[in-house]
Amino acid sequence: MEQTAAAFARTESALDRSSVWKRVFSIARNTFREAVRDRVLYNLVLFALVLIASAIFLGELSGGQETKIIIDLGLSSILLFGLFIAIFVGVGLVYKEIERRTLYAILSKPIGRGEFLLGKYLGLCLTLLVNVIVMGIGVSLALVYVTRGWNPLALSIWPTILLLYLELAILTAAALLFSTFSSPALSALLTFFVFVIGHFSADLKTFANSLGGNAARSVFTGLYYLLPNLSHFAFITPAAHGEVPAASSALVAALYAAVYVTVLLSAATIIFKRRNFK
Amino acid sequence: MTTPSKYGFSNLLLGTIILLGMMSVVGLARWMEQNRVTQDSQFGEADLYLNAAAARRLSLGFNGLVADWYWMRSLQYMGRKVVHHRDTATVPLDIGDLRVLNLRLLPSLLRITATLDPQFMAPYQFGATVLTTFDTDAALQLLHYGIEQNPNQWRLYQHLGYIYWQTKDYQKASEIYAKGGALPNAPRWMAEMGARVAAEGGSRRAAREIYQHLYDEAKDNETKSLLARRLMQVDSYEERDVITKVLDAFAKRAGRCVTSWKEVSVPLQTLGLRIDLTSGAPLDPAGTAYVLTEDGCKVDLDYRSQVPFR
Repeated sequence: MEQTAAAFARTESALDRSSVWKRVFSIARNTFREAVRDRVLYNLVLFALVLIASAIFLGELSGGQETKIIIDLGLSSILLFGLFIAIFVGVGLVYKEIERRTLYAILSKPIGRGEFLLGKYLGLCLTLLVNVIVMGIGVSLALVYVTRGWNPLALSIWPTILLLYLELAILTAAALLFSTFSSPALSALLTFFVFVIGHFSADLKTFANSLGGNAARSVFTGLYYLLPNLSHFAFITPAAHGEVPAASSALVAALYAAVYVTVLLSAATIIFKRRNFK
Repeated sequence: MTTPSKYGFSNLLLGTIILLGMMSVVGLARWMEQNRVTQDSQFGEADLYLNAAAARRLSLGFNGLVADWYWMRSLQYMGRKVVHHRDTATVPLDIGDLRVLNLRLLPSLLRITATLDPQFMAPYQFGATVLTTFDTDAALQLLHYGIEQNPNQWRLYQHLGYIYWQTKDYQKASEIYAKGGALPNAPRWMAEMGARVAAEGGSRRAAREIYQHLYDEAKDNETKSLLARRLMQVDSYEERDVITKVLDAFAKRAGRCVTSWKEVSVPLQTLGLRIDLTSGAPLDPAGTAYVLTEDGCKVDLDYRSQVPFR
């Protein structure tokens, strides 16, 4: 009898777990659909135009460096377009639901606030993934076009594209965190600051080392380690010379991104749970 | 309630405003274009407000792209100066001495490019071929920086060796070529070049090989064109040796120097030189006729020739 009860409880908890993910994925799917409806993927057209124009004109201007410039420009555009999507869509994910009052309808159903945030996050990550993959294919095709044949760089850029995606995943989580407690404009500004500081963090360490006082040095060293260090994901410049990130460093970077995203989403959930929507 | 006719009127009014506005914008733009105060040419020569380290820091992970921008800016900076010289100067540009172009920003532009993307090889080659003609120290600094950042790149040793060879420091050039030749993936000719420069220094054979290898390696048209003209210069030296021999033989035989090319055009043609059919003058590798010195005893390049004088 006891065994049957325990088995029943296990099955119930497994069912509950599976339904949690069902709910999360359902929100994620809807977030992705909404992004598509909001014509977020239209940026791909602009991206394609940038690439085509650069492939045609840069040959004249760059003194035979078309391949390098296509990679630099293409991968930088992936990062920049992704950053814009992460910021401008990310900061509106929660705010729009509150503004339209659809959040009340969602939260009145058996959906946790954490599940809601995770679903929103995964939905935007899916949108970014589609973007990044399509843009990556665009860069590869542009490389094949300028070399008038197969170019090994068309394949070797993909590990770098993966690193860019991980960087965008962190920035999306940051945008979502800020959007749980501030207005879209302020959230966008704060997320952009995270991007800037993330690429300046190496200087933060140098600055900390140059300081005389122990307290100040500790503060800045602490900030260096606590703030996201996005330079770990910056591999565009070596990729333009055919280099591929080492598997070990890419793996550690992926782990770093996963841990950072977990921390940011946990913080976002804590704040979001404390918010009173009455 | 708004009637359709009222809509029609407001649309017509707005359409008229847009039309008039656009016409005014075009008119104003034309007026400004005609009455624009010419900017002081010094503005184009203003010092770069970012040094290499600051540019790298501010590039926020887009350093490769910013390097590309500085690279294109370097090419355009030089291109503009060359075009301006072509349009205003009476004497053609001597690529052996680019001091006349006043390319004072070029060392900084190339240095920033190299700092932003140290693996980018084009600025080093451009620096070696162009900076050497007016600022050897800047060229050496750039190449030493490149080698510091890419110690296994044999091409950088090739460029550095070329700079030392240009400054006639054949011993140093030979050492650099040999050092580059010892690197993995370096072609065999690098080590051979080291030995040749050590043995022959500034010989034409060494010069031809150095220029030819640099030409083969070059990717941008600017550098290729400079090196092609250097190769023409080597050819021209050899042609002038042949012409001098013919002129000397004529002087010995006739007891005087030639008064016109026509007097020696047949032997010159027999020796394989290209001849201008009207004047009988031999043509340099760029297709311009050689000139006789005033006494007719020696040959020289025409001042309009594309072949470098130095």
